[in-house]
Amino acid sequence: MTDKDDDLTFDAALERLDAVVARMESGDVGLEEAVELFERGQRYLDYCLKRLQQVERRIEELAGADPPTENGENPF
Amino acid sequence: MKQVGDRKVWSVAEVTGAIARRFEDVPPLWIEGEIQDLRRRAGQVYFALADQHRIAASMNAIVFERLAPRPGDGERVHVYGRPQFWPLRGEFSVRVEIIQRMGEGALRAEIARLRERLAAEGLLDAERKHPLPRLPAAIGLVTSAAGAAREDFLRNVWQRFPRARIVAVDVPVQGDSAPPAIVAAIERLARTDVEVVVVTRGGGSLEDLMAFNSEPVARAIAASAVPVVAAVGHERDTTIADLVADVRVSTPTAAATAVVPDERQLTEHLARADRVLHESLSRKGTEHRAKLERLAATARRALIHLAARGAERRDGHVARLYGALRRASAAASTRAESRGERLDTGVRRARERGGARLERSAAMLGALSPVATVARGYAIVRDHAGAVIVSADAARTGDALRIQLRDGELPVTVREP
Repeated sequence: MTDKDDDLTFDAALERLDAVVARMESGDVGLEEAVELFERGQRYLDYCLKRLQQVERRIEELAGADPPTENGENPF
Repeated sequence: MKQVGDRKVWSVAEVTGAIARRFEDVPPLWIEGEIQDLRRRAGQVYFALADQHRIAASMNAIVFERLAPRPGDGERVHVYGRPQFWPLRGEFSVRVEIIQRMGEGALRAEIARLRERLAAEGLLDAERKHPLPRLPAAIGLVTSAAGAAREDFLRNVWQRFPRARIVAVDVPVQGDSAPPAIVAAIERLARTDVEVVVVTRGGGSLEDLMAFNSEPVARAIAASAVPVVAAVGHERDTTIADLVADVRVSTPTAAATAVVPDERQLTEHLARADRVLHESLSRKGTEHRAKLERLAATARRALIHLAARGAERRDGHVARLYGALRRASAAASTRAESRGERLDTGVRRARERGGARLERSAAMLGALSPVATVARGYAIVRDHAGAVIVSADAARTGDALRIQLRDGELPVTVREP
């Protein structure tokens, strides 16, 4: 399987990484495939680690929409 | 009013009368509140209507008794009545004409109807639910900035995943202003880079949670392109918002667990993947090196074997040739010897008989034995029919002859002398 790695989400990268790892662990791979799997796995791994580092702790306050106007007249 | 020195002084009756006059123009209106301290006295029922504040209310007992079922303490009601000021006691109260139960039964019926309607539209279907991203770039948070839910959520998110980025929108989470604010917040967040939205508030009465049972909020959640996690109220409270959300959890803490991975676990997971990749490849390499070495060794052995067999075969041919020759010559000499022996025996016998002539003849015979002769380097020449040629005259130019040597025959052609 050849994957388009552009625009990969973290989830997709992690999923593919796990699939590659599972395939590698199965032991049922030739040398050539193992090398290819290794390279692909490293690519996904790098991507995941990069994404992990990218996120930065902070909180932004977003003003909501305009507060809803009070319905109804002043009772008095 | 009277003047006492430099001050104007009013009587109590003047004050209460003035206030009472102010209230004369207040029209009857609907008020929502909870019934407290309900009691009957002298053809009237008295109670308080309360939310954060309290006002006294009274109602004709006969009208009240006709209500079925009659509302009781703690029940939320809508009352229609006129605020009045009673000057005799200086008290304010609402004179209630109509009272309607706004209790849980009515609310639950309302919720059930909405739920049914949304279900009929398929908005509660499991297939509509979006999966949550495992590592959202940012997390939208829709809750009250003043609520404990917000603190619970943030604390737990950052505990699990210290680098989580949150985009928070402060909204009222109860009351009439809550639904439009929550709807606006969900829509606003969907236009940012948040990859999941958490809508949460702590527990409360059914009335408190009604914003999350409102149709606009339910539809905004269902329509959100960004997955929504709802964590409204406690375990036992299930709101419509919970039902239409992509993921429903019972507490803000559980919402935190749902939207961010445990960083330690994730890091360990990735580290393991890295380890497996390296180990597998290196094992694969070792395996293949070993295999190659085995193959090389096998090939080497095979080549040596082949070479050896080649040599053996060649040597074998030679040996067989030699052997055949040896055997042939041995057989020849054995034959010769046995004849010789027999001759010798004959000679011995002859000697024994003392015949010298016979002895000489025997020696001659031995010398003339063709095999022995050929073995000594003489050759026998035969014609094409195998007849022995003993005279040069017997052969003519061009005749094909065979010369028998110790180890074989040579075909020859007679040339011009």
